[in-house]
Amino acid sequence: MTITTSNGAAKSILANQRTDFRSLQIYGLLVLTAAILLVPIGWLVITSLKQNTEYLTYPIKFLPAVPRWDNYAQVFAPAYRFLPHAWMTLFLATMFSTLTVMSSSLCGYAFARYQDVKANSRLFTFVVAMIIIPSIVTIIPSFMIFAKLHLTGKYWPWFFWGLAGSPYHIFLFRQFFLTFPKELEDAAEVDGCTPFGTFWRIFLPNAKAALATSFILNFLWVWGDWITPRIYLLNSNTTLGVLVNTIFTNPQGQLLTTLTITGIVIYTLPIVVIFFIGQRYILKGVVTSGLAGR
Amino acid sequence: MGDQRTSRATVADNTSRSRRRRRTFFLLISPWLVGFVLLTVFPLAFGLWISLTNYDGLNLSHVGFVGLRNYANALQDANVQHSLGRTVVWTLLNLPTWLVLSLLLAVIANQKVKGIGLFRTLFYLPSIVPAVGLAWTWKIILEKNYGLLNAILSYIKSGTAIGWLADQAMYGVTTMAVWSGLGAGMIIFLAGLQSIPDELIDAAKVDGANKFQVFRHVVLPMLTPVIFFQLVLGLVSAFQQLQIPWVATTTGAILVPPRSVYLYMIGVYQQIFGGARFGYGMAILWLLILVIFLLTFLVFRTQKAWVYAEADGQQ
Repeated sequence: MTITTSNGAAKSILANQRTDFRSLQIYGLLVLTAAILLVPIGWLVITSLKQNTEYLTYPIKFLPAVPRWDNYAQVFAPAYRFLPHAWMTLFLATMFSTLTVMSSSLCGYAFARYQDVKANSRLFTFVVAMIIIPSIVTIIPSFMIFAKLHLTGKYWPWFFWGLAGSPYHIFLFRQFFLTFPKELEDAAEVDGCTPFGTFWRIFLPNAKAALATSFILNFLWVWGDWITPRIYLLNSNTTLGVLVNTIFTNPQGQLLTTLTITGIVIYTLPIVVIFFIGQRYILKGVVTSGLAGR
Repeated sequence: MGDQRTSRATVADNTSRSRRRRRTFFLLISPWLVGFVLLTVFPLAFGLWISLTNYDGLNLSHVGFVGLRNYANALQDANVQHSLGRTVVWTLLNLPTWLVLSLLLAVIANQKVKGIGLFRTLFYLPSIVPAVGLAWTWKIILEKNYGLLNAILSYIKSGTAIGWLADQAMYGVTTMAVWSGLGAGMIIFLAGLQSIPDELIDAAKVDGANKFQVFRHVVLPMLTPVIFFQLVLGLVSAFQQLQIPWVATTTGAILVPPRSVYLYMIGVYQQIFGGARFGYGMAILWLLILVIFLLTFLVFRTQKAWVYAEADGQQ
């Protein structure tokens, strides 16, 4: 009796050790993967603390002799116009995101709740097709038209793009509004709500998650975009991303790499913060986009 | 009698109601519909018309119609052929690498252990770095003389100086593009992995399948719809890539990407904004659109052969 018990106990200790070892292996793998993926970001932060001459030594020095925190103050020197362009980008991204969220949610609502209308499914095919065809092929010919209308070098194109909504976000809102019960609409109609009133007072207040997802994704797109502002805007009103790419030079016009890197870190930081706060929404949006074809 | 009248009234009521709903529907989607026509269809059609002319940005009042001459020239253009070839290499290098590594990362992130959420967040982090940040993050790693990679490689073979962003830019830029795309790929594959019912995997295990066999014969077939859609999206965007190679390889005095990553859209951009050859630029842009349509069509044709479809057709 005692023998079997101790035998069983020994067995379970062995099993425990085995699971311990197994989970140790898993954590080892996870930590290793994270380390490999994050080395570039670590190197970015280290370089942001170097002097430019330290970056330009050969063979390279891995760490700065003294971390140069002053780089972080330097970036905001008035000559580099970092803060003004940060505000402009904030304005542009907020304006565009607000408009896109408004019009996309309205269209998504129509596609989700007016399925009895014959043209609905055929038009929705166009929406899905437009998700697959990215904007770069239309950006260049659009530029010629906007230029003819004297709207380039200004934020107007983003205003019109926002008004028109984005196919992907229409898709996102449609999927979301599909899950609402039919009774909600019926009750609203009985209460005498207009179609727009039903959308505005019943559906929209219940769509906070989708609104957050859509707003954050749009905001991140404008903040991170390079090619569109590069083509459409001027040096004086371009977005922060375009600015940091070239602005940090010495008086002779040579690029200062480490100061640029510091600028890049500060430029990316708001996105990291938004990501940690709105992670749930962002990842949900990514999944929806990936499964759009299903 | 009375019955008939009511039913007739209901029918009339219903048609007026459906007409009203139709009107409301079009009113609600009008922002998108108007935008779609004015900001997508019209520019593309305008571009198509321009591609048949000799428009150079200044002579809009007296443009000459040149028919298909721009297209004929494009097919003979060594520059176009080179950039198309580079784009094919870029796609063949990027797409499979990205798909395989994303799937691998998703499998790693699919472990059921405590704190896995934190690891997923860390794995996703590279994906949120915007294009300019991505380029600079890798510029200081891939730089020929002062970059981290060559410094580390010098321990193995001293004096290594590979131009990862110059003559070998195809590999350098591919690395950063894949790194940047892994997070999104992982999240999508993770959703796919989690939608596979546990019973299916357990049943296969009971039948004596080992881990690899379960993955190969149960998990992978179930993931093919996700893989297929990622393949289509990846193909379309790889053929239109411009931003990452451009920002990564140009700096200071280098204004145009090196020949090794001179992708098709870079050629289009150069024709239009570098040379103001609008007519010709639009012609090669439209050739690209045709190529993309053709490739997408071909990929869809292969769908039946390898993409798993559920028996009841519900997806």
